[in-house]
Amino acid sequence: MKTIRNWLLGAGLVAVAPLALAAETGFTLETVDPEADRLALQEFYQKRFPGVPVEEYVNGIYAVDPPSREQWDALMEFPPYEFDLEEGKVLFETPFANGKTYADCFENGGIGIRHKYPYWNKEEGTVKTLEQEINECREANGEEPLRWKKGAIAQISAYMAWTSRGKTFDIEIPEDDPRALQAYLDGKQFFYAKRGQLNLSCANCHLQGSRVLIRADLPGPMLGQPTHFPVYRSKWGEIGTLHRRYEGCHRDSRSVPLPPQSEEFRKLEYFQTYMSNGLVVNGPGARK
Amino acid sequence: MKKSTLTLLAALTLASGVAQAETFQEVFNKHRAMYGKGHEFTYEGKTYQTYHPEEVEAMAEPSRDNAEALVASAEAKRQDAAAVGYEWRFTGRILKQAQEALAEERYQDAMDLAAQAKYQARMAIQQQAYAEENWHLAVPE
Repeated sequence: MKTIRNWLLGAGLVAVAPLALAAETGFTLETVDPEADRLALQEFYQKRFPGVPVEEYVNGIYAVDPPSREQWDALMEFPPYEFDLEEGKVLFETPFANGKTYADCFENGGIGIRHKYPYWNKEEGTVKTLEQEINECREANGEEPLRWKKGAIAQISAYMAWTSRGKTFDIEIPEDDPRALQAYLDGKQFFYAKRGQLNLSCANCHLQGSRVLIRADLPGPMLGQPTHFPVYRSKWGEIGTLHRRYEGCHRDSRSVPLPPQSEEFRKLEYFQTYMSNGLVVNGPGARK
Repeated sequence: MKKSTLTLLAALTLASGVAQAETFQEVFNKHRAMYGKGHEFTYEGKTYQTYHPEEVEAMAEPSRDNAEALVASAEAKRQDAAAVGYEWRFTGRILKQAQEALAEERYQDAMDLAAQAKYQARMAIQQQAYAEENWHLAVPE
């Protein structure tokens, strides 16, 4: 009888092991712990790239790959986004037809607020991004919305990021609205779920695959990625938004890409920026 | 024998039994990867060939009716994949080529292309289901 009981105990242990794992590590609304996620991610990179200070991760691949850093340092003697910054300032300050400006739509006149985006909007029940509110500001003032990926919207966003340089990201997930935590969890799932014909997740390239060659490219770590957007990307030959990059990555996995500012991408940005809490705004940036 | 030893043995026996048993799909995938389509293999005493179900569908007589039916079912499957947000990038393009072949009365081409698109869509749906169950395994702890 004892033998049967022991066999059953052993079988039970094997059967419940996956369930126990899922319950401990926070993958449901009841168990997910964003702060534990953030600290675990930092620990992952500290083991992966020993000696690289966490605050260096705002520099992407240039934080962890010295040869790339040398080239980047040379490039940054004359940052390629400077003309876009100047144009962004002009666009930001130019009044709409009704005489109002972007400053009228944002807290503190839109200066030094980049580190507060994205945020959970309880009234609308959704994640709001800076670019989204730039366009909402335009529409509220009778202007046509800008296209999401490049051009004026990236220039205005770049200027707003530049006025926020050095401010620390502190993305909040309000405890009094479980929808916010669900949005974070959805963003987290999107980041780690494999998709597309190439069966790749964001994590495959930017977690396990960071600083691992994909042909001639070295993917950067996910920690710190949102801090330097928008970026002037040499491949684009122009400045572009974070969601332009999301769309490109999604397409590169051979998926039909989601559109910029889709709900899924905004949740992804929410998750990813929360992971960068404690790091400073250093956008706009320059990347290969 | 001690109780703890027996318990450990029970767990190990069960776990190794689970690990050793290859499913039909695993055996199929292995042979398909090694030998391509049309290769014969045995599983639990029976003989099978490494054709995907969609490829078997494309072996039907290359007629207008059969081509139209396969293109339509492939399109339906593509829409299912899109509905769960996992449509692959080239599935739509392949289906478009299938429709062009159908319009030009190249029925076998239309059926082969539709089969390819339908297979991709089926895989995308499977991928979504797998990701839903297993995404958490990639998260650092």
